[in-house]
Parts: sequence; structure tokens; C-alpha cells
Amino acid sequence: MRLALCLFILLIGARVHAEIETDFSGNVEGQFRHSQNNEEAKEDLFQDWDTENFRMLYGNINGKVEFGDSRIEANWFSRYSQSPLFDPGPTIFGERDPYLATRIFTFPNKLVARDIFKLQHKKQEDEYQFESVLNKLYYEWDYEGHRFMFGRMYVNYGLGEIFNPINPFNQPTALTSVSQVAQGNDGFSFTFFVDDKHTIQFLLLGDKRIEGYDGQIDKTLWAHGEYLVSDDLQLDYVIGEDQERHKLGGQVSYQLEDALVFTQVLYQSENVKDEPSDHLWDILVGYDRQMTAKWHIRFEGGYQKADSFLNAENLERFLPTEYFVALANVYEIHPLVKLNGTVINDIKSGFSYLITKATYNFYSNMEVEVFGYAPVSKGDDPENIAQKLVTTDVGLAIRAFF
Amino acid sequence: MFKKLLRKDFVLCVALGANVNNADEWLKYAEKQMRGDRSRAEMVMTIQTPNWTRTLEIESDVEGKKQALSTIKSPAKERGIRTLRIENNMWNYFPKLKRKVAVSSSMLLASWMGSDFTNDDILKASSMAEDYHHKFSSDEKVGGETYKVIENTAKTNSKVMWPKIMTYASKKDCLPRIYKYYDKEGKLRRTLTFSDIKTFDGHKVPTHWEMVPEDDKSKKTVVDYKDIDFNVKFKPSHFSQKSLTDN
Repeated sequence: MRLALCLFILLIGARVHAEIETDFSGNVEGQFRHSQNNEEAKEDLFQDWDTENFRMLYGNINGKVEFGDSRIEANWFSRYSQSPLFDPGPTIFGERDPYLATRIFTFPNKLVARDIFKLQHKKQEDEYQFESVLNKLYYEWDYEGHRFMFGRMYVNYGLGEIFNPINPFNQPTALTSVSQVAQGNDGFSFTFFVDDKHTIQFLLLGDKRIEGYDGQIDKTLWAHGEYLVSDDLQLDYVIGEDQERHKLGGQVSYQLEDALVFTQVLYQSENVKDEPSDHLWDILVGYDRQMTAKWHIRFEGGYQKADSFLNAENLERFLPTEYFVALANVYEIHPLVKLNGTVINDIKSGFSYLITKATYNFYSNMEVEVFGYAPVSKGDDPENIAQKLVTTDVGLAIRAFF
Repeated sequence: MFKKLLRKDFVLCVALGANVNNADEWLKYAEKQMRGDRSRAEMVMTIQTPNWTRTLEIESDVEGKKQALSTIKSPAKERGIRTLRIENNMWNYFPKLKRKVAVSSSMLLASWMGSDFTNDDILKASSMAEDYHHKFSSDEKVGGETYKVIENTAKTNSKVMWPKIMTYASKKDCLPRIYKYYDKEGKLRRTLTFSDIKTFDGHKVPTHWEMVPEDDKSKKTVVDYKDIDFNVKFKPSHFSQKSLTDN
């Protein structure tokens, strides 16, 4: 940590030669959610609660300092959550962990892929949970056609909103009710802007782990390229080693006259350390179209092979499941009011999940959102824990931006 | 004095190519004046309805017909959001999440930030002079002034939103004062009026624009240009992915 800070200070000192510009921004949100439990979660997974309330207050403060071709940017995320679901009460076998629904309500609950720099704090006590994390802190230097970054950074690319397999560095947030949140990744990035049509980003990052892992850091070596083949056609390619697997894939996106179509394919090798594992394939197809000036639709469908050697609790994905189709609609019924409806269907089991949101902008920097999440049809897959856990929720959020 | 100015403007616009008998020349002249070869504009957009008003500040860089980069300066929720257009390709960039998203070209017809303007209007994707055929219609008198009326019909191979636009141009300075936009059914959908003409770097530009949708005349979107720099020099990489993602 001290080393990182010293390096930052040295880099700043070396680069200060021009006018300094600063910018601060952020958002604060209060959220209330009323939730009804899934019967299967009660019976099969010991989630013995019926209905409960969940409250959350979170905020981001983003700061940026620019000098010449250099920039330092940081984001501090804090979240305070309260619900009886954090405190299930003891059984005859002893204390229990918070109910699993709290993990869904606080999704994304992992805001740093691997906390190499130890910049997060989390405390859970009785009915309360507090998280505070510096999930972005990096130094960036632009030099002619190159960009160098060091620190904790967001890595965001790929067209998938429900499923985005070519980008393992950020979870798609279509399922979450929080806004302005992304996952930080610790390491280095070097971007080479080859020409107007071609960009390559090389990444050397830490790995990704479920909470509380302090063991050896497995490297992530990754290259992501974007190539504009023609006026209508863009090709993205990815290649590298991530989560102890070799991965290779890409995305093709094509501009039709009135829509954007895209597809992604990602191949993942078996574990490079010879631990028992499968080869994996992920596939996505998507269609995005502005139907009218007010109505926008998006379709995504895909396949993701699950590793048969992983037990369910180690699967990183919540939804979608193995085969899925999703349809998202956004309709602007008023310049200040947007309706958003997304339905995701697991083709194999028949499970369907509906997300609805109505967002109203009031004043210039505030908005209120009413949201609902519901499993609209039950699946027939007895092994799928995620589908058993999904709750039915309605909620209200008020957001302010500064 | 006023008569002298009028005469000077008229002579100037004719001399610059707005041949009084050629509708193409009128449109070319107007576009040359208002767009130039490249420009950086600072504007304030106000979306007005009977019940509320919303204001956005925007910086818009344009070079030719093929390249545009717009940045929202305020309000806080949208501050820093950028849109880059290179030919038919368009990307949005959300700096707080470092997220760049390729946008379907169909998004050009989408409302821009809830306003009565579209992405196409903001990014100046279409060119009245190049994408439309032009012919004169009968002169019309509106609000005490008689305008030269030009009917613009979309060329068959051009990717434009509006199949027909009627231009009402002032005979005093050859610049447009009204655009009327018609849909495929020939129905008037919206009207854009221009006023408060000012000169920036030798270019005469209407600085007050009002867009009124025909289906709800109680609302409108007003754009006020605060400054336009037609002599701006963009770096060769200005309209690029690097530039899009450097804020």
C-alpha cells in the first residue's frame, strides 16, 4: 500500500508540468425494498423467512485530477444496508450466516476483483452491513498514440448487457438496482491506438476471488482489440489467461440500416494447473434497435457452458443460466419518465425472470425509481440454486447526482 | 442604415454563391454559413413544458459531415457523457463507468436526452445540401415577412430521417428562418425556427433555435448558441476512440 502511494506521488511529481484541472462528482441513493421469499428457498435451502424489508443507502464520490497528459482518478463507494435478513438468529448448531437474499439485494457485492491493494472495509453486525471501498484509483498517462494506466481501474467493453462473456472484468449490471457502480481491477493497462480503426489494450491484472481470499495471486494476462473493418462492421478480439484458463474469443458487430446486430464467442481451456475442469464455450447473439424516437428494444440470447467440476456455490454467475433469451424494452412516455422492462428466460428449465423499472427525473439532478423483480415462471431444474433463491421484490429508490 | 445592412447581406450571400434562381445554391450557402468546414460550439439546451424546464449545457465539435463529438457539460447526472460519430458509426462514452457503447445507427432518430431534437440533429449526421434534392416552391408570407420557400426531398441513397423538409429562407440574408419536417406519410411532425443571427468568425449563424413538435405544441426545446469557433484546429486524433475516452 505504502509502495503504491509512493509510486503515485513520484509519478505525479514527474508529470506536473501543466495546468492542473480537477473535477468532483458523485451520487447518493436511498433505497427501500419489500421482498417475498421463494417457497423452494425455504424448503430446500434453509432460507426460512416469508416477507421482509431491506433498506440501503449508498453513494459514490468520484474525484479526478488532470495535469498535462496525466490523470489521477479515484472513486469511493460506501454502502450501508439494513434488514433483519442479515441476522437469521442462531439454530441449535450455532450462529448462521446472513440469508442468501442479502447477497442478491447488494449485487454487485464484489466491487473489487481481487483486493491486492487492501482498500476496502466491510463490517456486518446484527441487522446491519457497512461496506466502504476505493474501487477506482489509478494513474493514467497519454502519450501520442498510447495510454498507460496503473492502479485500480474499471475495464469496460463488450456489447452484452445481460451476458458479456468476452469481458471477464466486469459483471453485467442489468440485474441490479444500483447505478453508477462498476468493479475495480488491480494492475496495469497499456492501450495502443494503432490508427483510427484499430485499438489494442493489454492488461496485467490480479485474479478474481470470492471474498476473503488471501492466497497466491494468479496473474491475468489479457489483450483486447477493436478493429473497424468497414463502415458497418467492427471486430473485437480477446486472448489471454484469466482465472487459470486460457481464453480466446471475439465479438462481431454489424450496423444494419436500422439496427445493430452482434455476436460474441469465447472459448476457455481446461485449468492450466491441471486441476479437474472442463473446456468451456460461451456464445451470445444480440440485436439492438431504436424502434421509434421513444421506444428502444434489445434482444440477447446465448449459451454458457457450466464447468461440471465446479460446485454450484463457486459458480460466479447468478443469472442468466445455461441457455437463455432476454428481451429488454425502454420506452420514454414523457421526457422525464422512462419505463424499462426486461424478461430473461432460461430455455432449458422454463424459468423466467422479469425486471421492471419506472424512472422519473425530477429537478435537474434527482430521480426517483420504482422497481420490481419477479420470477414470472418457475423452472423445473431441481439443481439450479440461483433459480430457487430468486425473490419477488418491489422497491423505491431516490437518487441525487452532484 | 438598416437598409444598407440588408442590401449588404443580400449582395454578400448572392456573391458567395446563393444564386437567387438556384435552390441548391441557397442551401449550400446556408450550410456553409451555419456549419462551416469545422466548428466548436457551446450551447445551452432548454427543454420546456408547461410544468417543468430542464437545462443542459453541451459542447459540440464538428468536422465536415462525417465526424462529430459532443460532450455534455451539465447537469451533474449527465456531465461528461460523450457521443462520437465517425461516418455511420456512433459510440456513447460514460466516463464515470469508463464504459464505451457502440450505438445502433437507428439511434440517430432517438430523442436526444428527452428533448425534441434527435441524435441526428445534435451530431449533424445529415446534410441538407448533400442528402436532399432541392426546388423552389411559391414564396410564403409568415409573420409579416415573405420567405423564399425551398422543398427538400431526400435522395434515394441518403440515410436521413426526414423524407421531406421545407426550408423558409429570408430574402434579406439567404439564411433559413424555419424548417418544417415531414414524415413518410407527408404529415408535418415538427417545426424548427431560427432567430437572433450573430456573426462568428465571419459566419452568420442563427443563435436561437426553437423546436416544436406538432403532436404537442405545449412543449418545445430551445437551443441557444453561446459561442461558435469556426477557426478551431482539431488535432488529427480528435475524432477518435482515444479522444472519446480521455475524460
